[in-house]
Amino acid sequence: MTREMLLSRRGFLVGCSLAASPLLTPVTFAAAPGQNRLVVIVLRGALDGLDLVRPVGDPAYAALRPTLLKDRGGPVLDLGGFYQLHPGAAALMPLWQAGELGFVQAVATPYRNRSHFVGQDVLENGSASDQGALTPGGGGWLNRALVPLGGRPDVAVTVGQEPMLILEGDVPVAHWSPIDDSSLSPQGEALLARLYAADPLLASTYPGAAGLRHDGGAGADVRPVDLGAYVAERLRGEARIAAFSYGGWDTHQNQTKVLSKRLGELSETILALKQGLGPDWATTLVVAITEFGRTARENGSAGTDHGTGGAMIFAGGAAKGGRVLGDWPGLGDSALLENRDLMPTRDVRSLAAWALRSQFGLGASDLEGAVFPGLDLGADPGLVL
Amino acid sequence: MEASLLEQIRFGYGPRGATAPEVSGVDPGRVLAQLDAPDPPPVVPGRPMLDQRLAMVAGAQREARAVKAGQITELTVLPRLKQATRADAAAWILTPVAAEAGFRERLVNFWANRLTVGLRRIGALPYLAGTYPDDVARPHLAGRFADMLRASAWHPAMLLYLDQAKSVGPNSRIGRKKDTGLNENYARELLELHTMGSGYSQADVTETARLLTGMAVGPTGSSFEPARADPGRKTILGQSFGEGRHEIDRFLDYIALRPETAQSVSLALARAFLADQPSEATVARMAEAYLDGGSALRPVYEAMLADPSATSDELVKIRSPQEFVVASLRAVDWPVGEAGVARMPGKVNEALAAMGQPPFRPRGPDGWPDTAEGWVSAPMLAARIDWAETVAQAISRATRDRTEPVPLARVVLGDLGNPDTIRAAGQAEQRWEGIAVLLGSPDFMRR
Repeated sequence: MTREMLLSRRGFLVGCSLAASPLLTPVTFAAAPGQNRLVVIVLRGALDGLDLVRPVGDPAYAALRPTLLKDRGGPVLDLGGFYQLHPGAAALMPLWQAGELGFVQAVATPYRNRSHFVGQDVLENGSASDQGALTPGGGGWLNRALVPLGGRPDVAVTVGQEPMLILEGDVPVAHWSPIDDSSLSPQGEALLARLYAADPLLASTYPGAAGLRHDGGAGADVRPVDLGAYVAERLRGEARIAAFSYGGWDTHQNQTKVLSKRLGELSETILALKQGLGPDWATTLVVAITEFGRTARENGSAGTDHGTGGAMIFAGGAAKGGRVLGDWPGLGDSALLENRDLMPTRDVRSLAAWALRSQFGLGASDLEGAVFPGLDLGADPGLVL
Repeated sequence: MEASLLEQIRFGYGPRGATAPEVSGVDPGRVLAQLDAPDPPPVVPGRPMLDQRLAMVAGAQREARAVKAGQITELTVLPRLKQATRADAAAWILTPVAAEAGFRERLVNFWANRLTVGLRRIGALPYLAGTYPDDVARPHLAGRFADMLRASAWHPAMLLYLDQAKSVGPNSRIGRKKDTGLNENYARELLELHTMGSGYSQADVTETARLLTGMAVGPTGSSFEPARADPGRKTILGQSFGEGRHEIDRFLDYIALRPETAQSVSLALARAFLADQPSEATVARMAEAYLDGGSALRPVYEAMLADPSATSDELVKIRSPQEFVVASLRAVDWPVGEAGVARMPGKVNEALAAMGQPPFRPRGPDGWPDTAEGWVSAPMLAARIDWAETVAQAISRATRDRTEPVPLARVVLGDLGNPDTIRAAGQAEQRWEGIAVLLGSPDFMRR
């Protein structure tokens, strides 16, 4: 296979297949003036913000999630009393203690339905529509930000299979798609397993096929640490903006185990970014955003279903961390959206806009106009020192 | 000429494009009308016809000699022949992807498989096998089987593939001089696989081999060479045959019209299109139609389409890998033949090999399997799902992630199969994954 060849041609991760990973797919970069850096991680599949940043201080929380809290998944990681961090992200605690990691609770895009596909589009497009209509032109907000930013589009490049909407648009972006095969997320595999289980002829063949697909063929998954190192390397060069997506957050079942694994990998990626950036970590802001949150109540299969309000992660040497931001709406029945979801109290687009403003000095008129049409920037959340 | 969804799935390569057909169910007349459709335009460039390829092979041999003699240093013809075989493999997929009349294309592949030639390293065979389906199956699929059989028998690819070109009559002029003799390979497979299947003896095989001597392949194609033909009468199945091309053709006609052949051909058709174990009564009616029409195939198809399983909503057959790959590309409306370039979303030949069906390389002269047993194994199914992912990602990339899995699933599956498949396509985390779930689903493996 030419995978190794292609990767080494780009001087990247020899012998390791980035796009073959089920979870980490495209990476996009753009150059920009100055030394500040921004990394946007799109968590596809809807991260459960209520499990990542557990509001244990809310009296209603424990009753909503009896199964999920029975096996907490590890030691208690205190985030200032009211919140605790999911143990799967324990590796990030040193960043929290150093003030380089923070969270924003109860955020959401304006989209109010619960389709992954549309939700991710809105998240990356930056639309103000609650129904999922995209902005005219339909590109991504990072692409639109490149214009006032004076970004150098000729060095923006997408690594991976699918186009990543967040950096698509009028400013041309080069695509680099070296690898033909990547794999489904655990949710995709679970859907296929469900369909095959119902097929009398093929039911007995499928488990073996699924096993083969996991063991071989597509090659070993990329190690998060390699992805972090690669992105860091680009950011130490000309790139100032990087975006990549990370799937596998659709935890309809067995959430504790799945989330622990995903969070562990995400933590490794962030730590590898820090290590790889070295002194440049000091000027870097990382934000991780997801299309929506998950139901406040756990479901019948030790998981959660599609919800609304969720959490955003921010990190970096530039971050003013050690804090959980956001207006906490509460989890009482009357506080929930449609008696099921965490009520969003802030538009996640305004946080993305403030990230652009803090790191690159974008003007409010650009941010509320071309980049995020119809956005109210709101008060400065203070993501950055 | 519109075909319903069920007609396209069961008798074609599945629906193409984003709009559902207006007709539904299975109308045998509508299916049969596809037989009169024109041949699809070529979608893969660089595929010379048989005559041209024979001339190229001769040219390549001249060049090889000239290189040996130090007269030239570079081969120019052989690379074009090799390119042609790559184009043949691409056409095997892309022709039915683009074709309007799916039933015709399925029949081309059915008959080419029934009278299989494969790539063996025998003389020019690797460069001639690629036109065989177009030369043999396509012109006769709505005509008489006897005519198709004759076209097959005299095709250089068949004469090479089953070693007939090597067979020499022991008492022929050449046979008496040289230490050569009969090669029974083609004679046996002709009786066993291509026609009767049963009802003949070893003596019949040997006598057939004697009769067929003289069939040869030369620089301009197949020919009859009297110097290789075994002289004297041959008694096959109680019939007496003499010498020469005419007698060979008379014999081919004779076995084409045998009742055993009618039965065997009908069973193969019904097994390929209807069910792994088709109704015996239907096969008998097809065989009767076959004999009544002097091996005319249209009445045989008509009898097949009258079987209740032809119109049933239940999809019981497993698509072959080629059918699956073609159906996946049709489902996503994969563009074909744009700017004269045959594009594929991935390494299709490797994928087909992993699914068990490497192009032009059947496991034996009995061709590809036509029952589920031959196609259902864990590694083969894994390869199919891998391909589903490849196509899903490619179409997502090509349409900038604008292909919606649920509407696509509704068009591709309609209300056939498990309703949960459409639901599952919409429950994936990303659009491409939803498309991969659809194309990798058990419903999509069926027809």
